[in-house]
Amino acid sequence: MATPLNTSTGSFDALYRDSARDLYAYVRTLLGDDAAAEDVTALAFERAYRRRATFDADRGNQRGWLFGIARNAALDELRRRKRAAPLVGELPDETARAPEEEADLAVRRTTVRAALANLAPRDRELVALKFHGGLSNAELAAVLGTSESNAGTRVHRAVAKLREACNAPA
Amino acid sequence: MRPRDTLTPDQERELEAIDRALAGEPVEPDLRELEELVLDIRATAPEMTPAFAARLEHEVGEGFRTPREQPALVRRPGRRWLALPALGSLAAVLLAVVLVLGNDGSSEFGTAGSGTDGDVGAVQNESREDAPATGDEAAALADDATSSGGGSGAGVTEDQPAARQSAVPPPPPEPAPAASSSARAKSAPAPVTPTRSARKVERNASIAIETPKGEFDTATDAVNAVVARFGGIVASSQIGASDESGGEATFDLRIPTSKLDAALAALAKLGHVTERTQGLTDITGSFTSAQDRLTDARAERRGLLRTLERATTQAQIDSLKAQLRSVGGRINGLKGQLASLKRRADLATVNLTVRGTGESTQTGGGGEWTPGDAAGDALRVLEVLAGVLLIALAILVPAVAIGGAVALGVRFGRRRRREAALDPA
Repeated sequence: MATPLNTSTGSFDALYRDSARDLYAYVRTLLGDDAAAEDVTALAFERAYRRRATFDADRGNQRGWLFGIARNAALDELRRRKRAAPLVGELPDETARAPEEEADLAVRRTTVRAALANLAPRDRELVALKFHGGLSNAELAAVLGTSESNAGTRVHRAVAKLREACNAPA
Repeated sequence: MRPRDTLTPDQERELEAIDRALAGEPVEPDLRELEELVLDIRATAPEMTPAFAARLEHEVGEGFRTPREQPALVRRPGRRWLALPALGSLAAVLLAVVLVLGNDGSSEFGTAGSGTDGDVGAVQNESREDAPATGDEAAALADDATSSGGGSGAGVTEDQPAARQSAVPPPPPEPAPAASSSARAKSAPAPVTPTRSARKVERNASIAIETPKGEFDTATDAVNAVVARFGGIVASSQIGASDESGGEATFDLRIPTSKLDAALAALAKLGHVTERTQGLTDITGSFTSAQDRLTDARAERRGLLRTLERATTQAQIDSLKAQLRSVGGRINGLKGQLASLKRRADLATVNLTVRGTGESTQTGGGGEWTPGDAAGDALRVLEVLAGVLLIALAILVPAVAIGGAVALGVRFGRRRRREAALDPA
């Protein structure tokens, strides 16, 4: 039987505060577009709010449930646009944004961004869920509809590709 | 677990390092490079603009009072398919009820039980037995009336066509459909015009009933009343011992065919029906044959009479009179045959057996409704309910299995379609 999310405003507010930044980061990485990411993030929270009575604690935690809703909305948006998110070219200028950071750190993060942008969309989504969304492997498995070991394998594979891309000569 | 999902110890170690790095915990020295990568990825996470963060905060605080317009997003189709199992269940239960009730009604026909007459169609088709007699039939009846004086020489004059017409007026002509008033044609079905080919059917029935303890005598007495009420007769009866332990009585009844069904229903109410059969015998052929032979005999007699008028010698007259007597005898025999056939068609034979069981009946008795009757009714209701549930289950189980498989397929397909958006164009 479904164990509904505590319908009090306080409980949903706690979920919002705990997840909003990570959720936006994941959606933004997946879509590669600020406006669409904002729309999808807001829509995901609205859907979660309206469906909070259907939350089933036996099928995962609130955070995984929320990311599942956001993922569906983001994939629908991608499907509507019929194209993968063009991340390259929309990267914020790290060097301009953080002049106080050391130069090698700025270069390294720019390299990571570029490598992330060049990953296959499925791998990029995994990286976004894991590192931007901060999901555990169990939460990842719930969101992706797969087993925890499979989720771990896929994450490791995506990280390996990312490391390879980062270490590749420019 | 699929083999390709199996992680090597090194991979597991790296995944643990990733989780520790994400949690801000230290990692082993040889995995520092991985830790840096994790921190770099984490650091590249896009951040909300302050304006959007404020707007979202406001919407969450307001409880999303205004539904979000989503023209740019694909609207999720409603999960109307979730209603399918409920609709399927309802349809299955309705189907089961129809099957059980339909089976319940038909199973009692011609066998033990007190069900309604299953021969309704045949009975309705035979209702034309009540229609006015045909011309030939009327003539036969007229012959019956005029031949009471015998068929010898005296009958020669009686059989004059003119005399017969004056003595017995012909039956009133059947109103032809075309001659009916328009009002009548609108208010009633088109009348069935009796024809020479109208079927003559002899019906018979056999019914056995059991009476509860102490009601045997009442039931046998009531048989006579029922028969009289429907205009029938008791041709013969035999009543055995009728003490408290029971008894048996047999009745040979003649019931007007048109009232047979009603009479059987009334007889069935005298006790618990244990056996009931009905039969039909088509005697149209015999009836038609007798009519034809009667017509031929009459024609022959008319010819003999005409010849007799022209006879000149006594020998011719004597010979013709002898022939006329012979023909008259044949005519009388055929009239009797026709009358017998008509009686067989008009009166149905019913063999009734009444048995006193010496026990109390559960249902169907003519007495008061007892707690035993109630228990029997309750048991019957439970039986029907169990049947409905069984049939519903037989329909529902495969339906739910198929529905579940379809739902899983739909869900899997929807996920695949969604995730296809992640594939390169």
